[in-house]
Amino acid sequence: MTLVYRLLLRSLVSRARVVALVAIGLVGVLIALAIRAADLVEADRTVAITRDLLGGYGLNLVVPVTALVFASAAFGDPTDDRTMVYLWLTPLPRWRLVAAGWAAALTVAAPVAVLPVVLAAALAGADGRLVGAAAAGAALATMGYTAVFLGLGLLVRRALAWGLAYVLIWELAVARISKGAARLSVSVYSRSVLSAVGEVVKPRNAAAVSTSLIVLGLVILAATALTTRVLARADVA
Amino acid sequence: MTAPVAVASPPAAPVGATIAVDRVSKWLGPVVALSDVSFSIGPGVTALLGPNGAGKSTLLRILCGLTSPSQGSVRVLGANPRTDLGLRRHLGLVAQQEALFEQLRAFDIVALSAGLHEVADRDVAARGALGLVDLDPDDARPVRTYSKGMRQRVKVAAAMVHNPTVVVLDEPLEGLDPRQRLRMIELFVQLGAQGRTVLVSSHVLDEVERFGSQVLVLAKGRLAASGDFREIRDLMDERPHRLRLRSSDARRLAAALMAGGSVVGTHLESAESVLVDTTTVGAFRRAVARAAAAEGVRLLEVTPLDDDLDSVFRYLVGR
Ligand SMILES: Nc1ncnc2c1ncn2[C@@H]1O[C@H](COP(=O)(O)OP(=O)(O)O)[C@@H](O)[C@H]1O
Ligand SMILES: [Mg+2]
Repeated sequence: MTLVYRLLLRSLVSRARVVALVAIGLVGVLIALAIRAADLVEADRTVAITRDLLGGYGLNLVVPVTALVFASAAFGDPTDDRTMVYLWLTPLPRWRLVAAGWAAALTVAAPVAVLPVVLAAALAGADGRLVGAAAAGAALATMGYTAVFLGLGLLVRRALAWGLAYVLIWELAVARISKGAARLSVSVYSRSVLSAVGEVVKPRNAAAVSTSLIVLGLVILAATALTTRVLARADVA
Repeated sequence: MTAPVAVASPPAAPVGATIAVDRVSKWLGPVVALSDVSFSIGPGVTALLGPNGAGKSTLLRILCGLTSPSQGSVRVLGANPRTDLGLRRHLGLVAQQEALFEQLRAFDIVALSAGLHEVADRDVAARGALGLVDLDPDDARPVRTYSKGMRQRVKVAAAMVHNPTVVVLDEPLEGLDPRQRLRMIELFVQLGAQGRTVLVSSHVLDEVERFGSQVLVLAKGRLAASGDFREIRDLMDERPHRLRLRSSDARRLAAALMAGGSVVGTHLESAESVLVDTTTVGAFRRAVARAAAAEGVRLLEVTPLDDDLDSVFRYLVGR
């Protein structure tokens, strides 16, 4: 399995991908500097950092997009370049391939997603606790999104477009309006953790921390099971 | 659905069959890639012959579990290749696509395949497999710099590294030069003689001749014929052939050939050229020289018009 992990990891690290995502990361730095430059009192500043920087930019944009880019490529790339057949012909159980793919995507996505968020929070003048909360929220969200988007690369041809549509429509619009949809939103749970740990403003339709952790764990398990099923039934060229 | 025109039909499920295909059909959207294909084969080399688009790759992919049949069932070593993952330890595939891990060295790719198949000593296995195809395990260049022939051999080594009982090769001779082809065919024959089941697809009739093997002919998704190579060859020689004869007096030559009974029809194209149809091409070739000499006609050229493989397959399917 470590062999599969190393194989998938190697194909995930492409320069173009990393450069594009570092560029998104730099946007965060700009927002951070803007918040810092604005003449805000301490309490307002904390709210602004949490709401705009960590919630809006970090957990709503950087984390899902990064997770999407790497997770959908983990099995999407081998499918596109037609090397999937080599992976497919191993006798290893399919769930182990999926687990290896998830680990590989996470290995690249976690630093690329979490670092800019933490860096931006620190630059904007967040206190240590809030920076820690940002790191925890971003890491959890990365794990959730990565698991969800792993199967997408197998299911659809244009995984990036579909994934972005899901993030924009479901996570950022529907899940804010509807309480029911919020129960099925990675973003809401990870922001709940952020706000609880950071002791700051709660996201709309927030959940308790324990609930959030359990649900994110379940999301990862369910997504992995689903991806395993999709992989086992895939047509490999 | 007509039954395949088995020349020497193998029994439905002979003892010792390693691959058994039972009434398999496969639809890809509106395309019928395979239609009611049944056969079973045992150890040794079997050629899967058919023109492009015949369904060879689809059939081989089904045999390796890369896709499932729409209908019918497939057994490889008694297992279902789609669901019995353990079978993959005993199965080697050389896929049709050129795709390889471009940035890796040949040795790394073959060792990777060994690892993916849970071979205990990957390095030893990889060296052995590369030796089988005359590639240098210490070559430091990535395979992206390799010629098509070398890449093909890397693929064969990767498919053999776990010492599989059943080896499936999809057009492995494509892109090889004649010398490499001979070498590769020797290897297949050797693998077959070791008691492995070797199934090789090709769309080139003459390649298959060298295998000296059993042949399955696939055309338009149907099993058009099966038997040993000589039987298939005879079957193809029996079909109506059309040839163009150029001579100093086409009319006179045509009349003599008709009278001699070696052609079934003629069509005059010009004073020099005539098309003739024959069902006994061997006898015809002997008769035409004799007739020309007897009639005092100078024979300039004999051109077979439909000796390409497509017309052979069309004939087999149309029967
Ligand atoms: N993924 C696919 N989708 C639709 N049609 C396909 C696909 N793959 C192959 N086909 C069609 O199925 C038929 C058989 O193809 P294939 O098995 O590749 O034949 P061969 O290997 O003998 O050239 C062809 O008509 C081909 O166009
Ligand atoms: Mg093919």
